[in-house]
Amino acid sequence: MADRSVYFWPAAGVIALIATALAPLFANDSVTFILGLAMIEAVFALSWNLLFNYTGIASFGHAAFFTLGAYFVACAQRYGWDVTFPLQLLVAFALGGGAAFAIGAVALKRASGIHLAILTLAIAEVVRMVIGYIDYVGRDDGLGGIPRPVVNLGLATLDLRSSSAYYWCILVVCVALALGLWWLVRSRYGRALRSIAEDAERATFVGMDIYKLRLFSFTISGAVAAICGGLSAPWVQIVTPDLSHWLHSAQPMLNTLLGGSAMFWGPAVGAFAYSLINYSTRTLDGVSEIVVGGILLTIILIAPTGITGALESLRRKIFQKWRAASPWAQVRVKGEQI
Amino acid sequence: MLLEWSFAIFSGLTLGMAAFLVAAGLTLVFGILKILNFAHGTFFMLGAYVTYSILGTESASMAAFLLATLAAGVVVGGAGWATDLVIFRRLRDSDYHYTLIATFALLLLITGLVKIIWGLDFRLVRPPEVLETTWFIGGIFIPAYSVFVIAAGIVVFLILDFGLQRSWIGKTVQSVARDPWMAEVLGINNRVVMTAAVVVSFMLAGIAGGLLLPNQSLSPALGDVFLLLAFTAVIIGGLGNVRGAFIASILLGLIESVSTVLLPDLPGISIFVALIVFILVRPQGIFSGAQ
Repeated sequence: MADRSVYFWPAAGVIALIATALAPLFANDSVTFILGLAMIEAVFALSWNLLFNYTGIASFGHAAFFTLGAYFVACAQRYGWDVTFPLQLLVAFALGGGAAFAIGAVALKRASGIHLAILTLAIAEVVRMVIGYIDYVGRDDGLGGIPRPVVNLGLATLDLRSSSAYYWCILVVCVALALGLWWLVRSRYGRALRSIAEDAERATFVGMDIYKLRLFSFTISGAVAAICGGLSAPWVQIVTPDLSHWLHSAQPMLNTLLGGSAMFWGPAVGAFAYSLINYSTRTLDGVSEIVVGGILLTIILIAPTGITGALESLRRKIFQKWRAASPWAQVRVKGEQI
Repeated sequence: MLLEWSFAIFSGLTLGMAAFLVAAGLTLVFGILKILNFAHGTFFMLGAYVTYSILGTESASMAAFLLATLAAGVVVGGAGWATDLVIFRRLRDSDYHYTLIATFALLLLITGLVKIIWGLDFRLVRPPEVLETTWFIGGIFIPAYSVFVIAAGIVVFLILDFGLQRSWIGKTVQSVARDPWMAEVLGINNRVVMTAAVVVSFMLAGIAGGLLLPNQSLSPALGDVFLLLAFTAVIIGGLGNVRGAFIASILLGLIESVSTVLLPDLPGISIFVALIVFILVRPQGIFSGAQ
């Protein structure tokens, strides 16, 4: 192997994954809780970036799908619907995908750019208001006291009521979803999406159906966001209409830019970094907004490639000498992909 | 029944003019810089807080009220100059997504600052003495302050429209909006024009904050309410179109107040439904093409 630097990202990923998996064993409850949320927000941000970086669409109301999934699982758990938890997550996935397909089918045909941004924002606001009118889901107060599930597997039962058991459940589902998205962006669909994000006009010219591809991406993204919401409901144990507030829609945006939108894992890195920042500034009203707004602004103005972008250029610098000395250097430079 | 309707129409006009006062600056800056400023509502709120700090919660004289409002306009206009210098100018050539998200970050930053300086409490400010009365005309009560808001909206609209359509300044600004490259060739300093547009837009936000301060519950959430209303007005009126925003604001106010009469159980939703329908059916706004 000529270039050891290619191991940098996989190694970092494996270390991060092991650390996250072991967290409930040595971290206290509040840190575990925040890490669980961070995993969910990480996948939520990855689903947003599927639209932003890989398809060239900015959704400002992505939280609407998250809310849909969260409320479905919340109702199912709270009112004891006769649906097992894995099936609940699948239904949340289907609901989110169905809603995204229905909205996207109309919206992507009629609107783009700024209009699409405002449209998605308005739809999320409507979701928030409609939930506030429905007695069954607790109006503006939301649904509280959501129990964590016990899954019956036939031969054995999986008890997820304890905090650490549900934490590992989140970990497994989130890793599966993230790998699924990772596979998607590397498949031929992912490459087709990339091409329309880069230059929609040329993609049309070579015979791609832009509308269909965008709709496909919008549907998958909405479905993943809904499953994230479904996972979060038993973890936080309360759902409120504010899940669909535009501040929550801004969360994946923020995580994505913080981590770096150009690399697939950037949004996930951003989600964990944001949780860290938020955890350390949580005490004073207003400070968290200043810190978050200030960081976001600084990133956009000074380092638009985010944390992973900065690390990537660092990686290149460190391994540059090694690479230059290698007889493979010329070959790699020619065939290099980011 | 008739009284109920005439009252609904009157309050709709008041709400519409209030929305226009906020939307005016938003649509102006979009028309010239093609920037949709998410932070506009926050700067409106900042203007309201500055006016409050000068006046306090008690009724002031009309002159003091107007002066305080003007001061808020100057302070927020200064903030606009700084924003242009630090943010808008640097992002002028980048993808519009980044500008959108940058103004969103600014929204968070200013909201946080306001929370630290003025706290989270709700405050109620009384209107100036002259405007505290209520007239009883044709069977309905008409607060003088509402009449003042409607008048202020019309005056701001007339000044903006006259300034943009008739004066040489307005024509210069329009030429920069239409074709910045050609304007530059003709010797117009685009930079100055754009900065001036941003400053005027922010000043309008600050002045709107001052004018609409009385009878509002002043809190850090004030900006959000008016931002979405103003967004809707700007979209329905056609992005960047001042006349469109004026008509759309009136329309929105009427939609909201009529739906309060017809659907009292579903407050607030009609505006969003109107917004969604408009984006899908007529994304270019009610006056297509006109600037």
